[in-house]
Amino acid sequence: MNEFVIRKATTKDIPFLVHTIIEAEKSGTEILSYSTVFGLTELEVKNYLKQMLAEEVENSELSVSSFLVAEKDGVVAAALSAWIEGFGGMSSSMLKGNLLKYFLPKQCFERAAKINNVIRDVHIEYIPNSIQIGAGYVAKEFRRNRLLGVLNKELIESLANTINGEKVIYAQIFTLNLPSMKTYEKAGFDIILTKKSNNEEILKYLPSNEKILLKKVLE
Amino acid sequence: MEKSEVINKLTEIFRKVLEDDSILLKDELTANDVDGWDSLSHMLIITEIERLFQIRFKLKELNKLNNIGNLLLLVSSKIVQK
Repeated sequence: MNEFVIRKATTKDIPFLVHTIIEAEKSGTEILSYSTVFGLTELEVKNYLKQMLAEEVENSELSVSSFLVAEKDGVVAAALSAWIEGFGGMSSSMLKGNLLKYFLPKQCFERAAKINNVIRDVHIEYIPNSIQIGAGYVAKEFRRNRLLGVLNKELIESLANTINGEKVIYAQIFTLNLPSMKTYEKAGFDIILTKKSNNEEILKYLPSNEKILLKKVLE
Repeated sequence: MEKSEVINKLTEIFRKVLEDDSILLKDELTANDVDGWDSLSHMLIITEIERLFQIRFKLKELNKLNNIGNLLLLVSSKIVQK
Protein backbone atom coordinates (compact mmCIF):
# COMPACT_ATOMS: atom_id res chain seq x y z
CA MET A 1 0.00 0.00 0.00
CA ASN A 2 2.90 2.39 0.69
CA GLU A 3 3.67 2.61 -3.00
CA PHE A 4 0.25 4.17 -3.70
CA VAL A 5 -0.38 7.90 -3.48
CA ILE A 6 -3.85 9.02 -2.43
CA ARG A 7 -4.89 12.39 -3.81
CA LYS A 8 -7.88 14.44 -4.90
CA ALA A 9 -9.00 13.80 -8.48
CA THR A 10 -8.41 16.48 -11.09
CA THR A 11 -9.87 17.04 -14.53
CA LYS A 12 -6.92 15.08 -15.94
CA ASP A 13 -8.41 12.00 -14.25
CA ILE A 14 -11.74 12.34 -16.04
CA PRO A 15 -11.20 9.33 -18.36
CA PHE A 16 -10.61 7.08 -15.33
CA LEU A 17 -13.51 8.64 -13.45
CA VAL A 18 -15.79 7.98 -16.42
CA HIS A 19 -14.68 4.35 -16.36
CA THR A 20 -15.31 4.25 -12.61
CA ILE A 21 -18.85 5.60 -12.96
CA ILE A 22 -19.68 3.19 -15.76
CA GLU A 23 -18.31 0.11 -14.02
CA ALA A 24 -20.02 1.08 -10.76
CA GLU A 25 -23.34 1.54 -12.57
CA LYS A 26 -23.01 -1.88 -14.19
CA SER A 27 -22.44 -3.55 -10.79
CA GLY A 28 -20.69 -6.50 -12.39
CA THR A 29 -23.29 -6.95 -15.14
CA GLU A 30 -23.44 -5.78 -18.73
CA ILE A 31 -26.40 -3.48 -18.05
CA LEU A 32 -25.44 0.21 -18.11
CA SER A 33 -28.43 2.23 -16.99
CA TYR A 34 -27.24 5.40 -18.72
CA SER A 35 -27.46 3.40 -21.98
CA THR A 36 -30.68 1.56 -21.34
CA VAL A 37 -32.64 4.47 -19.86
CA PHE A 38 -31.48 7.13 -22.30
CA GLY A 39 -31.04 4.96 -25.41
CA LEU A 40 -27.34 5.70 -25.79
CA THR A 41 -24.39 3.54 -26.76
CA GLU A 42 -21.68 3.08 -24.15
CA LEU A 43 -19.37 5.26 -26.23
CA GLU A 44 -21.97 8.04 -26.26
CA VAL A 45 -22.39 7.68 -22.49
CA LYS A 46 -18.63 8.01 -22.04
CA ASN A 47 -18.55 11.17 -24.13
CA TYR A 48 -21.43 12.76 -22.24
CA LEU A 49 -19.99 11.81 -18.87
CA LYS A 50 -16.68 13.42 -19.86
CA GLN A 51 -18.48 16.62 -20.76
CA MET A 52 -20.53 16.60 -17.56
CA LEU A 53 -17.50 15.97 -15.33
CA ALA A 54 -15.60 18.73 -17.13
CA GLU A 55 -18.20 21.23 -15.89
CA GLU A 56 -16.70 20.75 -12.41
CA VAL A 57 -20.04 21.05 -10.66
CA GLU A 58 -19.48 20.19 -7.00
CA ASN A 59 -21.23 17.96 -4.46
CA SER A 60 -22.77 15.30 -6.66
CA GLU A 61 -21.93 11.89 -8.09
CA LEU A 62 -20.85 13.64 -11.31
CA SER A 63 -18.33 15.91 -9.57
CA VAL A 64 -14.59 15.56 -10.09
CA SER A 65 -14.16 17.14 -6.66
CA SER A 66 -16.13 14.28 -5.04
CA PHE A 67 -13.46 11.76 -6.05
CA LEU A 68 -10.24 10.60 -4.46
CA VAL A 69 -7.85 8.49 -6.54
CA ALA A 70 -5.07 6.08 -5.70
CA GLU A 71 -2.08 6.35 -7.98
CA LYS A 72 1.05 4.27 -8.43
CA ASP A 73 4.02 5.45 -10.46
CA GLY A 74 1.81 8.03 -12.12
CA VAL A 75 -0.88 5.51 -13.10
CA VAL A 76 -4.35 5.85 -11.56
CA ALA A 77 -5.24 2.55 -9.93
CA ALA A 78 -8.54 3.26 -8.20
CA ALA A 79 -11.14 5.93 -7.58
CA LEU A 80 -13.97 6.46 -5.13
CA SER A 81 -16.43 9.29 -4.71
CA ALA A 82 -18.32 10.64 -1.73
CA TRP A 83 -20.02 13.92 -0.97
CA ILE A 84 -22.08 15.63 1.69
CA GLU A 85 -25.66 15.55 0.48
CA GLY A 86 -27.15 18.99 0.06
CA PHE A 87 -23.92 20.84 0.86
CA GLY A 88 -24.16 24.25 -0.73
CA GLY A 89 -27.95 24.22 -0.67
CA MET A 90 -28.63 22.02 -3.71
CA SER A 91 -29.52 18.34 -3.66
CA SER A 92 -27.10 16.15 -5.58
CA SER A 93 -30.02 14.73 -7.56
CA MET A 94 -30.89 18.17 -8.87
CA LEU A 95 -27.27 18.90 -9.76
CA LYS A 96 -27.03 15.59 -11.64
CA GLY A 97 -30.41 16.16 -13.27
CA ASN A 98 -29.29 19.62 -14.42
CA LEU A 99 -26.17 18.15 -16.03
CA LEU A 100 -28.16 15.42 -17.75
CA LYS A 101 -30.70 17.93 -18.99
CA TYR A 102 -28.02 20.28 -20.26
CA PHE A 103 -25.95 17.74 -22.18
CA LEU A 104 -28.19 14.91 -23.34
CA PRO A 105 -30.23 15.21 -26.55
CA LYS A 106 -33.96 15.74 -26.37
CA GLN A 107 -34.83 12.22 -27.50
CA CYS A 108 -33.12 10.88 -24.39
CA PHE A 109 -35.61 12.68 -22.15
CA GLU A 110 -38.55 11.42 -24.16
CA ARG A 111 -37.33 7.85 -23.78
CA ALA A 112 -36.53 8.30 -20.08
CA ALA A 113 -39.98 9.76 -19.41
CA LYS A 114 -41.59 6.54 -20.61
CA ILE A 115 -39.32 4.40 -18.45
CA ASN A 116 -39.32 6.47 -15.26
CA ASN A 117 -42.32 4.78 -13.66
CA VAL A 118 -40.61 1.39 -14.05
CA ILE A 119 -37.24 2.26 -12.55
CA ARG A 120 -38.40 4.57 -9.75
CA ASP A 121 -39.53 1.51 -7.75
CA VAL A 122 -35.96 1.01 -6.55
CA HIS A 123 -35.16 4.68 -6.08
CA ILE A 124 -33.81 5.57 -2.64
CA GLU A 125 -33.65 9.23 -1.58
CA TYR A 126 -30.40 10.77 -0.43
CA ILE A 127 -30.44 12.05 3.15
CA PRO A 128 -29.40 15.71 3.57
CA ASN A 129 -26.33 16.56 5.64
CA SER A 130 -25.00 13.02 5.47
CA ILE A 131 -22.03 11.51 3.67
CA GLN A 132 -23.09 9.67 0.53
CA ILE A 133 -20.66 7.18 -0.94
CA GLY A 134 -20.79 7.11 -4.71
CA ALA A 135 -19.02 5.23 -7.47
CA GLY A 136 -15.89 3.21 -6.78
CA TYR A 137 -13.60 1.14 -8.97
CA VAL A 138 -10.20 -0.54 -8.88
CA ALA A 139 -8.37 -1.37 -12.08
CA LYS A 140 -7.94 -5.15 -12.39
CA GLU A 141 -4.16 -5.13 -12.19
CA PHE A 142 -4.27 -3.26 -8.86
CA ARG A 143 -6.83 -5.35 -7.02
CA ARG A 144 -6.18 -7.06 -3.69
CA ASN A 145 -4.47 -3.96 -2.31
CA ARG A 146 -7.52 -2.86 -0.30
CA LEU A 147 -7.51 0.40 -2.21
CA LEU A 148 -11.24 1.06 -1.92
CA GLY A 149 -11.01 0.63 1.83
CA VAL A 150 -8.16 3.16 2.01
CA LEU A 151 -9.98 5.62 -0.25
CA ASN A 152 -13.15 5.18 1.77
CA LYS A 153 -11.34 5.97 5.03
CA GLU A 154 -9.63 9.06 3.61
CA LEU A 155 -12.83 10.41 2.06
CA ILE A 156 -14.87 9.95 5.19
CA GLU A 157 -12.22 11.55 7.38
CA SER A 158 -12.06 14.59 5.14
CA LEU A 159 -15.84 14.99 4.85
CA ALA A 160 -16.80 14.20 8.43
CA ASN A 161 -15.08 17.34 9.72
CA THR A 162 -17.47 19.54 7.79
CA ILE A 163 -20.66 18.00 9.24
CA ASN A 164 -22.17 19.43 12.40
CA GLY A 165 -24.01 17.05 14.64
CA GLU A 166 -24.34 13.33 14.05
CA LYS A 167 -22.05 12.05 11.30
CA VAL A 168 -23.80 9.43 9.22
CA ILE A 169 -22.60 7.65 6.10
CA TYR A 170 -24.85 6.03 3.52
CA ALA A 171 -24.19 3.80 0.56
CA GLN A 172 -26.63 2.40 -1.97
CA ILE A 173 -25.88 -0.77 -3.89
CA PHE A 174 -27.76 -3.37 -5.87
CA THR A 175 -28.12 -6.59 -3.91
CA LEU A 176 -26.44 -8.63 -6.64
CA ASN A 177 -23.23 -6.77 -5.87
CA LEU A 178 -22.22 -9.26 -3.18
CA PRO A 179 -18.53 -8.23 -2.97
CA SER A 180 -19.54 -4.64 -2.18
CA MET A 181 -22.15 -5.75 0.30
CA LYS A 182 -19.61 -7.87 2.19
CA THR A 183 -17.09 -5.03 2.16
CA TYR A 184 -19.58 -2.61 3.64
CA GLU A 185 -20.80 -5.02 6.27
CA LYS A 186 -17.19 -5.72 7.31
CA ALA A 187 -16.70 -1.97 7.58
CA GLY A 188 -19.53 -1.73 10.08
CA PHE A 189 -22.41 -0.70 7.83
CA ASP A 190 -25.91 -2.01 8.48
CA ILE A 191 -28.59 -2.61 5.88
CA ILE A 192 -31.46 -0.33 6.83
CA LEU A 193 -33.65 -0.37 3.75
CA THR A 194 -34.40 -2.63 0.83
CA LYS A 195 -36.28 -1.53 -2.25
CA LYS A 196 -37.45 -4.23 -4.61
CA SER A 197 -39.43 -4.07 -7.80
CA ASN A 198 -41.66 -6.93 -8.83
CA ASN A 199 -41.91 -5.54 -12.33
CA GLU A 200 -39.66 -7.76 -14.45
CA GLU A 201 -39.38 -5.01 -17.02
CA ILE A 202 -36.98 -3.18 -14.72
CA LEU A 203 -34.29 -5.71 -15.60
CA LYS A 204 -34.19 -4.29 -19.13
CA TYR A 205 -32.92 -1.01 -17.68
CA LEU A 206 -31.12 -1.70 -14.39
CA PRO A 207 -28.61 -4.35 -13.30
CA SER A 208 -30.99 -5.62 -10.64
CA ASN A 209 -34.53 -5.24 -9.34
CA GLU A 210 -33.37 -4.84 -5.75
CA LYS A 211 -31.37 -2.10 -4.11
CA ILE A 212 -30.27 -1.70 -0.52
CA LEU A 213 -29.36 1.27 1.62
CA LEU A 214 -26.50 0.79 4.06
CA LYS A 215 -25.79 3.09 6.97
CA LYS A 216 -22.99 3.68 9.41
CA VAL A 217 -22.88 6.20 12.22
CA LEU A 218 -19.45 7.55 13.05
CA GLU A 219 -18.49 7.54 16.70
CA MET B 1 -48.40 35.98 -17.40
CA GLU B 2 -49.67 36.32 -13.85
CA LYS B 3 -47.68 34.75 -11.04
CA SER B 4 -50.66 32.58 -10.10
CA GLU B 5 -50.85 31.22 -13.63
CA VAL B 6 -47.13 30.36 -13.57
CA ILE B 7 -47.56 28.58 -10.23
CA ASN B 8 -50.54 26.65 -11.56
CA LYS B 9 -48.66 25.51 -14.63
CA LEU B 10 -45.61 24.54 -12.58
CA THR B 11 -47.84 22.60 -10.21
CA GLU B 12 -49.34 20.70 -13.12
CA ILE B 13 -45.87 19.79 -14.34
CA PHE B 14 -44.67 18.60 -10.96
CA ARG B 15 -47.82 16.56 -10.40
CA LYS B 16 -47.59 15.00 -13.86
CA VAL B 17 -43.90 14.07 -13.74
CA LEU B 18 -43.93 12.90 -10.12
CA GLU B 19 -47.34 11.24 -10.53
CA ASP B 20 -48.63 12.81 -7.33
CA ASP B 21 -51.75 14.98 -7.41
CA SER B 22 -51.21 16.03 -3.80
CA ILE B 23 -48.11 18.10 -4.52
CA LEU B 24 -48.48 21.73 -3.50
CA LEU B 25 -45.74 24.12 -4.50
CA LYS B 26 -44.48 26.56 -1.88
CA ASP B 27 -41.51 28.92 -2.12
CA GLU B 28 -39.47 26.98 0.44
CA LEU B 29 -40.16 23.55 -1.06
CA THR B 30 -37.01 21.62 -2.03
CA ALA B 31 -36.25 18.26 -3.66
CA ASN B 32 -35.66 16.83 -0.19
CA ASP B 33 -39.31 17.49 0.67
CA VAL B 34 -40.81 15.57 -2.23
CA ASP B 35 -40.69 11.81 -2.68
CA GLY B 36 -39.46 10.68 -6.05
CA TRP B 37 -37.84 13.97 -7.03
CA ASP B 38 -34.62 12.34 -8.20
CA SER B 39 -32.18 13.30 -10.95
CA LEU B 40 -34.28 11.75 -13.70
CA SER B 41 -37.52 13.33 -12.49
CA HIS B 42 -35.75 16.65 -12.11
CA MET B 43 -34.49 16.43 -15.68
CA LEU B 44 -38.00 15.71 -16.91
CA ILE B 45 -39.48 18.54 -14.85
CA ILE B 46 -37.02 21.07 -16.27
CA THR B 47 -37.63 19.78 -19.81
CA GLU B 48 -41.39 20.19 -19.38
CA ILE B 49 -40.98 23.69 -17.95
CA GLU B 50 -38.86 24.73 -20.93
CA ARG B 51 -41.36 23.22 -23.35
CA LEU B 52 -44.47 24.66 -21.75
CA PHE B 53 -43.14 28.18 -21.20
CA GLN B 54 -41.00 28.22 -24.36
CA ILE B 55 -37.91 29.22 -22.42
CA ARG B 56 -34.38 27.85 -22.07
CA PHE B 57 -32.29 27.67 -18.91
CA LYS B 58 -28.53 27.96 -18.68
CA LEU B 59 -26.69 25.38 -16.62
CA LYS B 60 -25.45 27.96 -14.14
CA GLU B 61 -29.02 29.21 -13.67
CA LEU B 62 -30.27 25.70 -13.00
CA ASN B 63 -27.56 25.11 -10.42
CA LYS B 64 -28.82 28.03 -8.33
CA LEU B 65 -32.37 26.70 -8.10
CA ASN B 66 -32.35 25.37 -4.55
CA ASN B 67 -36.08 25.75 -3.99
CA ILE B 68 -39.37 26.36 -5.74
CA GLY B 69 -39.29 30.07 -4.89
CA ASN B 70 -36.11 30.53 -6.91
CA LEU B 71 -37.52 28.43 -9.75
CA LEU B 72 -40.63 30.59 -9.85
CA LEU B 73 -38.55 33.79 -9.95
CA LEU B 74 -36.36 32.45 -12.73
CA VAL B 75 -39.26 31.21 -14.86
CA SER B 76 -41.10 34.52 -14.40
CA SER B 77 -38.02 36.54 -15.36
CA LYS B 78 -37.47 34.47 -18.48
CA ILE B 79 -41.09 34.88 -19.54
CA VAL B 80 -40.71 38.66 -19.19
CA GLN B 81 -37.49 38.61 -21.25
CA LYS B 82 -39.19 36.93 -24.21
